[in-house]
Amino acid sequence: MNAPDRYERFVVPEGTKKVSYERDTKIINAASFTIEREDHTIGNILRMQLHRDPHVLFAGYKLPHPLQYKIIIRIHTTSQSSPMQAYNQAITDLDKELNHLKDVFEAELSKHSREF
Amino acid sequence: MDGVVSYQRFPKIKIREVKDDYLKFELRETDASMANALRRVMISEVPTIAIDLVEIEVNSSVLNDEFIAHRLGLIPLTSDRAMSMRFSRDCDACDGDGQCEYCSVEFQLSVRCDQDQTLDVTSQDLISLDPSVVPVDVAARSSSTGFDATENRGIIIVKLRRGQELRLRAIARKGIGKDHAKWSPAATVTFMYEPDIHINEDMMESLSLEDKRNWIESSPTKVFDIDPSTHQVVVVDPEAYTYDDEVIKKAEAMGKPGLVEIYAKETDFIFTVESTGAIKSSQLVLNAIQVLKQKLDAVRLTEDTEEADEQFGELGAHMRGG
Repeated sequence: MNAPDRYERFVVPEGTKKVSYERDTKIINAASFTIEREDHTIGNILRMQLHRDPHVLFAGYKLPHPLQYKIIIRIHTTSQSSPMQAYNQAITDLDKELNHLKDVFEAELSKHSREF
Repeated sequence: MDGVVSYQRFPKIKIREVKDDYLKFELRETDASMANALRRVMISEVPTIAIDLVEIEVNSSVLNDEFIAHRLGLIPLTSDRAMSMRFSRDCDACDGDGQCEYCSVEFQLSVRCDQDQTLDVTSQDLISLDPSVVPVDVAARSSSTGFDATENRGIIIVKLRRGQELRLRAIARKGIGKDHAKWSPAATVTFMYEPDIHINEDMMESLSLEDKRNWIESSPTKVFDIDPSTHQVVVVDPEAYTYDDEVIKKAEAMGKPGLVEIYAKETDFIFTVESTGAIKSSQLVLNAIQVLKQKLDAVRLTEDTEEADEQFGELGAHMRGG
């Protein structure tokens, strides 16, 4: 009866920002990104990609509650980088990886359709 | 920003088997987060088309209206158009009432039983107003590729006896599996780590043929076998290994710990994708890649967020200075 609407899980409400950024007040080069209406799919690939960056000292994500449809990614970097720079870099690299994946998959697929 | 440095990976793909509704491929040189993101997106975020709104005019069948509406929703529809369609909530041209070609497809169904035998109402009785969006089994009948069309009698919706009638109008919309499982294009999507099996050959040779046989038999799946000419133990099907550790326990029980070592290659995966037929399995993977890219684009920082931070930075420096 009082269940939230199903679309609440993936439609960002009007007037809400998809990504918000909050700098840590006590530690320099540390910040949290709150991403609305996302889950483990995005949280985990971003976290793992951030771990590949040697300037990132800490990267983690959490889904605070199953009924709060948001994730929080926390990044702590060295002074050579910044959380925002690391975050942007991770997204760019993942995007390039997916482009590459699309190209190799299509190449393989055309190879197979020619064989049969 | 430093544009030169990149921590990008270059994964490799090898397709083993493609059918319209089945795909098996190897994904190499990436990690579990990427494999799992693809799996999750394929199951719950690749859009398809399914019946979402049903207006019942006459229903004198034994099933109630909601029951029939639910069953109609679960019928897979050919959804090659779905990626380019609009979600009805984002559609400006209509209110999602089925009058709009961008976001909805109308179906009609009108069946009445006038005979003594029971009459099956099936997916074939659904008349689509758009020839590109039809029930999957109907499409299979006309093209007969991949699917087995011989035993195809349609998906039964309800059975009618003499005098009973079902007449309705249904509107199919684009949606994703996260909203309702009826929109999921995937029947199953799984991936496994590729196993890396090392047999200690010297230790293996110290076993008698009988012991080797016993050891091979201890595996619940057929991973190992004996070469009939050399009597050596060979790995016949590494992927049959289910990470059950039975052969390792058996080796220990035989007093030969370290006889075999099995690791999961954490960068290599074997994917199995089965589609409901709404979209081809190969297209499902491509759509998943595209959807994941769109999701990543959506979580990019917007310029006003970055500017707000710069101001905050100055302010912070000010406060620290003062």
